[in-house]
Amino acid sequence: MKKVYAFEKNCLGCGLCEVYCRTAHSKSKDIIKTYKKENIQSAIVVEEILSPKTKTYFALQCRHCSDPKCIKACISGAMYKDENGIVRNIKEKCVGCLSCVLVCPFGAVKKSTEKKVISKCDLCIDTGGDPACVQNCPNNALKLMDEEEVK
Amino acid sequence: MEYLIIGNSAAGINCADKIRSIDKKGKITIISEEPFEAYGRPLISYYLAGKYDINLMKYKPAEFYSGRKINVVLKCQAQQIDTKKKEVKCSNKKTYKYDKLLLATGSIPFVPPVKGLEKHKNVFTFLKLEDAQKIEKVITKKSKVVIVGAGLIGLKAAEALAGKVGQISVIDLADRLMASVLDKKTASIMQKHIEENNIKFKLSTTVSEVSSDGVILSDGGKLDCDILIMAVGVRPNTSLAQNAKIKINRGIVTDKYMMTSVKDVYAAGDCVESLDVLSQQNKILALWPNAFIQGETAGANMAGVKTPFGGSFAMNAIGFFGIQLISAGIIDPKDQGYNEYVEYDETKVTFKKLVIKDDKLVGFALLNLPYRAGIYTSIINDRISLKDLNYDITKRDIGLNVFSQDIRYNKMFRGKNG
Repeated sequence: MKKVYAFEKNCLGCGLCEVYCRTAHSKSKDIIKTYKKENIQSAIVVEEILSPKTKTYFALQCRHCSDPKCIKACISGAMYKDENGIVRNIKEKCVGCLSCVLVCPFGAVKKSTEKKVISKCDLCIDTGGDPACVQNCPNNALKLMDEEEVK
Repeated sequence: MEYLIIGNSAAGINCADKIRSIDKKGKITIISEEPFEAYGRPLISYYLAGKYDINLMKYKPAEFYSGRKINVVLKCQAQQIDTKKKEVKCSNKKTYKYDKLLLATGSIPFVPPVKGLEKHKNVFTFLKLEDAQKIEKVITKKSKVVIVGAGLIGLKAAEALAGKVGQISVIDLADRLMASVLDKKTASIMQKHIEENNIKFKLSTTVSEVSSDGVILSDGGKLDCDILIMAVGVRPNTSLAQNAKIKINRGIVTDKYMMTSVKDVYAAGDCVESLDVLSQQNKILALWPNAFIQGETAGANMAGVKTPFGGSFAMNAIGFFGIQLISAGIIDPKDQGYNEYVEYDETKVTFKKLVIKDDKLVGFALLNLPYRAGIYTSIINDRISLKDLNYDITKRDIGLNVFSQDIRYNKMFRGKNG
């Protein structure tokens, strides 16, 4: 399957991926309205790597693991792998117990701000096209690539 | 090949799922005592609180069973296993044959003998959806509820009933709540928070006698009581295995392939003794993820793919009244050689504790700090030497940036999990 891969050398740490992630998952689909009126958690974590002289960054989304620990920990059956291999969360079923957060080895599942449910990357499957973070990364630090190709 | 699975929860269902992924033709039957389709038992408190619709509770959609040709027999109690004839007699007067059998019989509530318990007409346990439904029927705005047990089950019952009844008292013999999970400090922070929601605690005491309308405590105190919930703890449900002369210690004993002492009989989940990789002892780890993984492992082995179970360790994610606890491993070490790092912010009600031994992280507890806890869990799980990490985890918030670039790339680009 295709996943989003981060290239540290290109990442500026600008956080635009987060902005576009939130907007893509908003009702308004408008950056400003999303920011001002819709309390949406981005499904991305931008990490900072401190070296003695430099600071680099990379953006991390759900890895859509082949053997996902979050699904095994989920007490409600809200977390599942769909037919395309995307790990998804049924919001209505999720009780926000955060068992998924407890076991995700990437720390890629977040508690959402809107409800008690968790928020995670769905590869923008419902919006169509490439994920918003990939489309809007100004320096090609995020790429949608096939798993096999990457290996 | 005929596969028979006794128990329709995390271990049973995921065993069936795994079997079907390997053996496309074999007959798979799951037997369940419950009248309901499979649901996550921890959800019953959300149901009782009125926060969760019963229709959402189904763990798997109907297509899951039909698509995999898994036959589920509900309201059916397995009564006797004949391991020679390889068949199981059930309460529906049917006898089911098997080539491979899984015991996923789970836990049963432990109700200690208490003087006068039979005099009270509203005594409940809190493990099954039926228990929640029974409680739902009898509670009123005036009910005086006494919950015996300040563990996860008792506290979840208390949370579910808060605001729905007149008063709630929680009693525990231990000096703190969730004594098996929490250290003193974490427990006291949680207790204070829960008390703000009008729930009273009576700790270091127990119920010595029950009357028709109240309880007498071992410290001499008395409490009025219309509804008594016994949430002292759970025990592995091993009676079926015991009658079939399957080896039992504290729980059903299995080898690392989840097979019991009897050939072709496997066991998984809460009814089993699991290897705790941190203490290297066999323990009852009645935890959802553990049951899932053991069920899956048993399924692979039952279908002929030799797969060892890698062991487990304690872990919990649970919330009470908006306070969120995430913990794993050893968080209240009793022996020497452990170093504990604690950060506590009283105003924000946040708490972080890391427990380190021999340069390895062996446990953590996080209150209201649900950020990326799984990275700690993975550091425990992978037995990573802390000196190999990019920074001192006791001094900074955790991130994937804690790993060296090589490890990070491997995880992100080439890892099995990724």
